Amino acid sequence: MKNIFVIAKNTFRAAIRDRILHGILVFALLFILFTVFLGSISLGEDLVVIRSIGLAGMYLFGMIITIFLASSLISLEIERRTLYLILSKPVSTLELVLGKFFGLFAAIALITLCMAAVYLGVVAYAGGGFDAPSLGAIVLQIFEAGLFVAMVMLFSSLATPFAAAIYGILVLYIGHSLSVLLQYVQHRSIALKAVAKALYYIVPNLEKFNIRNAIVHHMPVDVGMILLAGLYALLYAAVLLYLAKQLLAKKDL
Amino acid sequence: MIEIRNVRKSYEGNPVVDDLSLTVKTGSVFGFLGPNGAGKTTTIKMLVGLVRADGGTIKIDGHEPHDTPSREQIGFMPEDPYFYDRLTGMEFLMFCGQLFKKSYRKTENEYGEILKLVGIYDAANHAIATYSKGMKQRLGFAQAIVNDPAHVFLDEPLDGLDPIGRREIKGIIKKLHGDGKTIFFNSHVLGDVEEICHEIGIIHRGKLVYAGDVKQFCNGRTLEEQFVTAIEQERNSSMLTL
Repeated sequence: MKNIFVIAKNTFRAAIRDRILHGILVFALLFILFTVFLGSISLGEDLVVIRSIGLAGMYLFGMIITIFLASSLISLEIERRTLYLILSKPVSTLELVLGKFFGLFAAIALITLCMAAVYLGVVAYAGGGFDAPSLGAIVLQIFEAGLFVAMVMLFSSLATPFAAAIYGILVLYIGHSLSVLLQYVQHRSIALKAVAKALYYIVPNLEKFNIRNAIVHHMPVDVGMILLAGLYALLYAAVLLYLAKQLLAKKDL
Repeated sequence: MIEIRNVRKSYEGNPVVDDLSLTVKTGSVFGFLGPNGAGKTTTIKMLVGLVRADGGTIKIDGHEPHDTPSREQIGFMPEDPYFYDRLTGMEFLMFCGQLFKKSYRKTENEYGEILKLVGIYDAANHAIATYSKGMKQRLGFAQAIVNDPAHVFLDEPLDGLDPIGRREIKGIIKKLHGDGKTIFFNSHVLGDVEEICHEIGIIHRGKLVYAGDVKQFCNGRTLEEQFVTAIEQERNSSMLTL
């Protein structure tokens, strides 16, 4: 447990000092601030535009940052041999994987909260007061980021940072299109249906974490559904991290 | 005591270490020598638990290096070490120290003493990205001794150091030996090996060519001369076999 915390602290520290990350974060914050202008030219729909584009922007930049940081988390350590310095110490592969995961997840959660603070400020400035319903979308975004970090970490223990990033983007795209995909193959060949079904069960259903539209259009959101999505992310991430650990343990460094 | 018995390791069917048996006595300074690609680094990686042997056994004080808790007594410095560039030297050393039970509660002053010992205390709070190769080498050495280990494994510890740096690191190795530590190191700098080692092992194409006393091996010549002769003899005999 101690080693997981020590590795997590180190990973967190290294992640938040990344200059490229600072650049993306500044750009993300400027984008959220820019929604004030977009709202002002939207003919009376200021808040709808600000909330819609603000939440979408937070999500988009959150995922860009996640892919950027997670795709090199394991592979770069293997390539640069920094893992030698850790795994030659009394540290198990499981402690390493969990430490890396929690460190990066904490960094991404902090970055998401920074963006959320600016977003909430923008909504309040535009006359929307404290946008409490958006907190549900932000929490779900953090859950999804957790699952996604574990997924890209698994890819990162298999492939180069670039390949891991590409696989991550593919999963992100497919994970948000599963329902559409199933509908699309309804009247197609059996083989296509089988492929779609397989994808449906293998790829995480990331739409479970998307309540942004419901929030923007004041539709009711069930708190139980948010908790269930959190449980789904937890279980899925646990399986992915276990697989990453198994892969790493089998590697000759 | 470090005991290596009939250890084998292949990569993609090519034997890298072939039936290696070696014993290193506790408290000795052991130099592990060989030409490039002889299997030195693979052996050292097996000794610290980074790579699993295909066959044979490795025991360090009776424990297998893959047994995670046994690594509390091991210190390892890889060849040409890489670090987390965004951390400072002090942060990195503290991170490494906190991974050991015995050094978890060390104070910043104690970590500072280790950095003073390896000569980079003045740069303790600078980002590692700003360190020269020699400073990184010294930081690599510092993290290898942060837990006050009984056995220190060093892969080319004198690489990239200027003459003064080499003298300082050799001084630390001698000090560690004085404290009763076992030092096992790979090196190409044979003059230094001759100066600080009591025993050597020579490996060529994965097979042990010689293991024993340095002076006995040198037999009045320099280690470099005798080493070159031994390797050439091995090459000639393997060509005759072909």
